[in-house]
Amino acid sequence: MSPELERLQRWMQEVVVHPGTVEEAIASPGAELEIPAVRLAEVVLPSATMTPSERIGVYHGMYLMRMEEALETDYPVIRYHLGDVAFSHLVEAYVGQYPSRSYTLNRLGDHLPQFFLDRPDWPQAKLLHDIARLELAMTQVFDEEESPVLSAEELEAVSPDAWENARLRPIAAFRLLDFRHSVIPHLVAYHEDRPSPNPRRRASWVALYRRDYSVLRLELSRAEHDLLKDLAAGTTLGEALTTAAQSQKSSRQQARIFKWFRTWIAEGLFTSIEASPRRTRRCLDRGGLGLGA
Amino acid sequence: MTQNRWSFPDLGLGVGLRTPHYAHILSENPDIGFFEVLTENYLDTGGRPLYMLDQIAESYQVVMHGVSMSIGSTDPIDFNYLAKVKALATRIGALWISDHICWTGVLGRNTHDLLPLPYTEESLKHSVERIKVVQDYLGRPLVLENPSTYLEFAESDMPEWEFVRRLAEEADCGLLFDVNNVYVSAFNHGFDPVEYIDAIPGDRVCQYHLAGHTNKGTHIIDTHNDHVLDPVWELFGHTIRHVGLRATLLEWDADIPPFEIVHQEVLKAADWRHQEVADVA
Repeated sequence: MSPELERLQRWMQEVVVHPGTVEEAIASPGAELEIPAVRLAEVVLPSATMTPSERIGVYHGMYLMRMEEALETDYPVIRYHLGDVAFSHLVEAYVGQYPSRSYTLNRLGDHLPQFFLDRPDWPQAKLLHDIARLELAMTQVFDEEESPVLSAEELEAVSPDAWENARLRPIAAFRLLDFRHSVIPHLVAYHEDRPSPNPRRRASWVALYRRDYSVLRLELSRAEHDLLKDLAAGTTLGEALTTAAQSQKSSRQQARIFKWFRTWIAEGLFTSIEASPRRTRRCLDRGGLGLGA
Repeated sequence: MTQNRWSFPDLGLGVGLRTPHYAHILSENPDIGFFEVLTENYLDTGGRPLYMLDQIAESYQVVMHGVSMSIGSTDPIDFNYLAKVKALATRIGALWISDHICWTGVLGRNTHDLLPLPYTEESLKHSVERIKVVQDYLGRPLVLENPSTYLEFAESDMPEWEFVRRLAEEADCGLLFDVNNVYVSAFNHGFDPVEYIDAIPGDRVCQYHLAGHTNKGTHIIDTHNDHVLDPVWELFGHTIRHVGLRATLLEWDADIPPFEIVHQEVLKAADWRHQEVADVA
């Protein structure tokens, strides 16, 4: 290892990533620890048109711009909701706390939901935490491995006596989210270029998934969310549907469960079904699930 | 004029593969020599980017160009990253893997900038050792690009072109010669770009880059956001005379126009290639 090169690189990085002006960065404690500001001219040469501080200032000035561009790509709704100035302020604070440690900028924003938990005093932190979770999940669903989708034929092949103990496995590109705020109107406002709505504290539930390489969403009721959560966690169909049915009081409400189920199958939320034929006390059949041909 | 020592083919004219152009490329099958893929964009995705790349790699020659190898950094080499680079190269049949003569971060951080190295014996030795390790791991020669830089370190004891030449020869690696970068750095540091080009070992050059830049008056930024400027075309002609014909790629990374405009821009290089070859003949 080369100690002088190490010191020079630590110094330059300290200067480049430090917020504020380049003069403040050069004089920051982290930079001073490596190379005192008074020695700048011994480290960086001037050009015919620029001083040493102006020259390193080129790198310093581009750092936060690059971070902002990356975070804006992954968090367009937060950027839209906050506006330019507040978003820039957020980016500066965020990368100060969670700088990139990855070879890809695609992972820079992974800690943004956590950032809002760390900083509960940040303006609108709770709402922003919810929106950040939504947008992070969208990027994850976008990049997940492709999974084969469970087909109607595969479902048909499951014998009736295996249904109750069957377990569904969701596709990799699937995320189930619960929020304390109504976040989808913020997403819609961004897409339709309408003013971002006022924060509304109201629980909401969303499933994100990918089909034909596009990220899609299903807005859910609490009951839908709870059933889907059980199924995604590997609860048997019998147990999950029984629990769901108990939460739906009337037979009409209970019938909706099977409509939800059909929608989720049709949307391709599951990749496989594990079924072992074992007759049990309360056997569900395909007709009961509304999946019969 | 020479061939490169690894016999990497002259793929003709290519452009950088960019997301807004996926649909056009797959529907129109443009007549183009090759695509250069931004390595890091495809390392951790199983979604649309990789799906598109797989299809394009079935129809076109592809080469990989990375920005995070950080070959000059004093941090440890990231073998997890290299494993993914190697796997992607195998998957898409990349003809070569390139990155930059630079460092991008230390202490585990990544600034995602191509930061300059001091041109000293110490940093030369350090980079050469790391290039050898990386080449051993990848099982193929690494191709490294000369950087565009905005400052010079006082401790540098050799010009950039000597550093680049010695680095390539001592590490036994290839060079991706970015003509625009030479122009940018020559403007920023006040050296003669022709002297730089004439010092480059032609048998190590595997590919050329061309790009647009932004002149701020006091300095030039390598922005890749516009057409190639005339002085850069002139230097490109000089480079071909000195080095020979190589796979030539246009980079357009910001304010990206429709594919046809990017394609038309790189086709201008064909005139220079024909003219210079005719002149030499």
